[in-house]
Amino acid sequence: MNEVDNSAWAVMLILILIILLPIGWIMVVSTPEPYHIVAGEPLREALENSGITVVSAVNSKLPLPGATGGKIYTISDENGNLITIQTQSFDSAGSRDAAIKLHNAQSVGKGKPIEDLVVVGNHLIFVRPGTSGTIKKILPELQKIKGR
Amino acid sequence: MSEDATTAPKTGLAPKKVLGIFALAMINVAAVLSIRNFPSMAEFGWSSIGWYIIGTILFLIPLSLAGAELATMLSDKGGGVYAWCKEAFGTKGGFVAVFCEWSNNLVWFPTVLAFIASTLAFAISPALGTNAIYLFVVMMIAFWGTTAIAYFGENLSSKFQNVGVILGSIIPSVLIIGLGLYWVASGSAIVLPPFTWAQVVPTFNLSTLPFFATVILLFAGMEMAGFHALEVRNPNKDFPKAMAISAVIIFFCTVMATLAIAFVIPANELSLSAGVMQAIQYFFNALGIPGAVAPMAILITIGGVVSLAAWLIGPALGLGVVAQEGNMPPIFNRTNKYGSPVAVLFIQALIGTFVSLLYIFLPSINQAYWILSAMTVELLCIVYLLVFASLIKLRYSKPDAPRPFKIPGGIPGIWLIGGMGAFGVIFAFIVGLMPTGGSFTTGQTISYVAGILIGTFLLAVPPLIFLKLKKPSWIETGNKEG
Repeated sequence: MNEVDNSAWAVMLILILIILLPIGWIMVVSTPEPYHIVAGEPLREALENSGITVVSAVNSKLPLPGATGGKIYTISDENGNLITIQTQSFDSAGSRDAAIKLHNAQSVGKGKPIEDLVVVGNHLIFVRPGTSGTIKKILPELQKIKGR
Repeated sequence: MSEDATTAPKTGLAPKKVLGIFALAMINVAAVLSIRNFPSMAEFGWSSIGWYIIGTILFLIPLSLAGAELATMLSDKGGGVYAWCKEAFGTKGGFVAVFCEWSNNLVWFPTVLAFIASTLAFAISPALGTNAIYLFVVMMIAFWGTTAIAYFGENLSSKFQNVGVILGSIIPSVLIIGLGLYWVASGSAIVLPPFTWAQVVPTFNLSTLPFFATVILLFAGMEMAGFHALEVRNPNKDFPKAMAISAVIIFFCTVMATLAIAFVIPANELSLSAGVMQAIQYFFNALGIPGAVAPMAILITIGGVVSLAAWLIGPALGLGVVAQEGNMPPIFNRTNKYGSPVAVLFIQALIGTFVSLLYIFLPSINQAYWILSAMTVELLCIVYLLVFASLIKLRYSKPDAPRPFKIPGGIPGIWLIGGMGAFGVIFAFIVGLMPTGGSFTTGQTISYVAGILIGTFLLAVPPLIFLKLKKPSWIETGNKEG
């Protein structure tokens, strides 16, 4: 009986390890986005360096603790469609990370949220559906800004 | 001992036949219909209709029909997708299917729990939505509370779901639809551009392709009623009707409520940056009833809890049946006097708590989150691929088995329905590997895809280990609890 119990516990341990390993490993190993103050408007800078014209920009502040404001940029994509991209900056790593988690909790069905997030230091850039092509274009510029 | 002989809980009590058409339908509605999808989908405007049609044709209809046929054909067997896939592919196929359905939840639970907590925060104080301690406490109350409801068996959980789904899913949906109609009827301007059929057609390109997986699995959960087969009063008649009723409710509420929101909120204002409730708040403010926001937040919270309950209870019941058949160590094979698989529920709650803890208290894990979300999608695709494959295979391997509900059209009909469903989930599996948005560098993309594939494999493989280590004593020594 003891032998049976021991093997049961051993298998249960394997199960827990197998389940927790991938989940825990992915969560622990993933590098947290470093928090540092990026001065100015990183999105505008990246857009302009990539040759994309900002049509307009209006201030916006999300109702989230630690949010210090951002902008909603309207730009024209390659097809001439006007698209908007929102940014928001945060006063601490904690408030920024909390905003990331809140955003990620807004998933559709059992999938992901339809909006993507780009983290640039203290800024979050909310990528709306259909705008990721533009973000892909400016990503190298954003990486440069991130690394400053 | 034959495998089939052990499908009923070994508590000495026969399962109580407590579920009728309405309760079955509500289980599916609870699992699938979610208000939190509406603002997100409304961002697509008229093309949201096109996306919904794709999801309906390639998934909702095939899965509803497959579920109706398989559930009525195997109505005397417990375990839902486990029984269906086992009948076609043996214990290994069934076990992998139900395990993937169960293990994907472990990854998904923190997301839905965080949604529940942040939505409730909107009714109390929106700032709480980013407070880690608050989030964790509410998440645990919801999680362990739902587990406790599951502990008390089908009778209580079915009543909870019936009431909860009406309060938390159907009433808010109908309210949003009604207010949208009022908006139009009162002559207020519809913010969408004038309707044309061309606008209904979704845009397909590399940036929208990953969204395909999300749309397909928007209707995931239509098989959930199948897990409750042994508790259904008249499964042969009730399952097909329940499937039809739930599919109609889900499709109607989803499409109409999405359009209602899209009518009122301009697409560029439909930001979800501060959560779905931000859009709901805009909606009610535009209609001049800001006081409705907090009650709506509470109703949507209830809807989230009911959805959690559906996904928490169904696959656990399925895994309980697997354990009763001696395919898992006896530690998993414990049912209480209510017929609930207490060991599975407890282990599930422990793992879910641990993962939630990591989710809330680890620092920014944006990329990890995307990988885990993608793993949820991939695991679900494995489940549904096995279901559609079982549907087709059983028509060949057991052509004469009684099928109280039979998908019409004979072999071509089954290939059409099963083939469409299989195509949808295979495509969703492939595009589910693609990172969404443009925020990944090449190196990150490689580690992202590798992470998803390895993680999915590890979360799908335990059944094969269990079956390899299986001992005859596992059948005999389980279930010591009264």
